[in-house]
Amino acid sequence: MLVEFELIKRAQEGDGAAFNQLVLAYRKRILGTIARLIGHPEDVEDVGQEVFLRLYFSLDQLRSAEVFEPWLYRLTSNAAYDYLRKRRRRMESRMADLSEQQVVMADALASEKVDRDEGQRKRIREAVDSLLDGVSEEDRVLLTLKEVEGLSLKELGTIYHVKENALKVRLFRARRRVLKAFATARKRSVGVSGSRQ
Amino acid sequence: MDHDNMDQDNMGSDETRLNALFAAYRDACPDPEPSANFMPMLWQKIEAREQTSTVFGRLARNLVTAALALSVILGLAVSLSHSRASALPSESYVEVLAEDQNLDYFEPVHIEPAADQH
Repeated sequence: MLVEFELIKRAQEGDGAAFNQLVLAYRKRILGTIARLIGHPEDVEDVGQEVFLRLYFSLDQLRSAEVFEPWLYRLTSNAAYDYLRKRRRRMESRMADLSEQQVVMADALASEKVDRDEGQRKRIREAVDSLLDGVSEEDRVLLTLKEVEGLSLKELGTIYHVKENALKVRLFRARRRVLKAFATARKRSVGVSGSRQ
Repeated sequence: MDHDNMDQDNMGSDETRLNALFAAYRDACPDPEPSANFMPMLWQKIEAREQTSTVFGRLARNLVTAALALSVILGLAVSLSHSRASALPSESYVEVLAEDQNLDYFEPVHIEPAADQH
């Protein structure tokens, strides 16, 4: 926990200063998680503000201060999920749109052959974003929390109030789908680079 | 058999590469520094949402009051129309019509015996 339970209780009772301290303590961590969940740095602050806005108006529903962090993660993943759904409706981008350059970059990155300057970071984000576009928003959020954020199945179970076995099955299927798309994209990129030589 | 082993090897290397890609993705998305506007913007949004909910709350209260007033008015109107209705005859249309009919109509028809033609 980054804060004392007492601070959470004060914020629950409507103490604005306590809520302010709570946001200051968690905002960097939450913004980082959102950045990795949505993959679009330009929208991270907006989604982050939405998370704390929801926290402000739902804090009175929190049963006890001990479950504050899973609660905050739940709000974060829900806000990221809503953003991704809206974005998908706008973009309708598909896995098939994974450009040849993105595939080559993803492959090169996996082999750790490149330096990671900002341009390349952007391309990594785009490559992973395109790969994760092949699964549903729910699975995308779940997969990112597990594979990128490094949350355990137990932690995920606490956040989602779901049994670990059910999560395991869901994560296995989602990962298999992403892996299949990754393998297909890699084969395509190998074919393209082979035909060039 | 060899083909299966090759597929498994490829799958294994893809797994490793995908893990490496996820790790690279984590490095490519470090925790961003919040901008100076983060907190002021957040409080602005909170206040705007509170105002909206206050406006909606007020609107809802007004609607409830209006609905109550309307139901009282309608109740009064209905009870008035009932009292007026009691001043009218309670018989049905057919009953009133039957009363109005002169019973003479239904008297037996007196038939004069026909004059002897002989």
